[in-house]
Amino acid sequence: MWLSILGLILGISLGLLTDIQIPPEYANYLSIAVLASLDTLFGGIRAHLQQVYDDKVFVSGFFFNIALAAGLAFLGVHLGVDLYLAAIFAFGVRLFQNIAVIRRIILAKWAEKKEVREIN
Amino acid sequence: MKNPKKSNRKNFSKSIVFSLVFLVLGFIMAYSYSLSNANKETEGFTGGAFFEQEERYRKDLIEQQEHNKELREELQEKQSKVQEYEKSFADGENRYTEYAAEAEELRRYLGLVPVQGSGLKVTLQDGDYNPNSVNPNDYIVHESHVFQVINELYISGAEAISINGQRIHGNSYIVCTGPVITVDGVQYPAPFVIEAIGEPGVLTSSMELTGGIMDQLLNDNIIVTLDEGQLIEMPALLAES
Repeated sequence: MWLSILGLILGISLGLLTDIQIPPEYANYLSIAVLASLDTLFGGIRAHLQQVYDDKVFVSGFFFNIALAAGLAFLGVHLGVDLYLAAIFAFGVRLFQNIAVIRRIILAKWAEKKEVREIN
Repeated sequence: MKNPKKSNRKNFSKSIVFSLVFLVLGFIMAYSYSLSNANKETEGFTGGAFFEQEERYRKDLIEQQEHNKELREELQEKQSKVQEYEKSFADGENRYTEYAAEAEELRRYLGLVPVQGSGLKVTLQDGDYNPNSVNPNDYIVHESHVFQVINELYISGAEAISINGQRIHGNSYIVCTGPVITVDGVQYPAPFVIEAIGEPGVLTSSMELTGGIMDQLLNDNIIVTLDEGQLIEMPALLAES
């Protein structure tokens, strides 16, 4: 737990401190990567709440989604098709679904707790 | 004993993986954040920064224009100065031509160049032999007579004088050497032809003044002939030697 927080802080500071300038057309890839990582993160949280969480799936999904999204955007740029829109759409929809599921589970848990308390 | 250790190790590797995942996540998010910030900065020129920049450029422009104006004024000043120089140069050139003309004139006076012009020709001849007179000095032309004539001619405005074709100049000397006179080292016997360039009428009338040179010369039994209005040519002084 502490290690993961340390990793997060390290990553944020590293990202803020890097002065590497990438051409603006590659900024799209980065945004897609961000979206993919967020999606995977929320997917992992949802899986954890639904007790179907698996480390391998989560980690592989995290990196694979990022790579796939960036690759798709790259391919789209070179084919002249806005494929990154597809990635954004898919990840966006999944993100909202995941968050909705999380919200529902948390609500259900909260209601359950409340019920339990009332019963007591 | 085995199991907790295994789960511990599993936990450890799990947290390592998680930390890696979060590292990547943080990096990506922070990086994209800073990148979008930088983009915003570059795009911000459409806003107030743009106006600021415009103002700055305008200020620069005004400064430049003022500088140009100053330079232009300086240029005009310099040009007027150059014109002044040119004018004075032209004046100087005019003066040079004047000087040259003056030098030419002076040279003419000095006898360094051949001259010609109308003037008076005075011929002094020894008087006829007079048996009554014991002294031959009474009827021959002396150098003093020549002096007198020359002086009179100079006084009445002669510009150039020659004796027997030899120019007289400022340092000329005329010496009496017995029956002849020596002009600048050249001996001349009578008759002496004194030529003077100048206003012929003035020269003649000055010679013929009552009680003047003519009278004195005639008094000294010298035969004087005046021949005015002829074109007289005189060689240069240097050409003579």
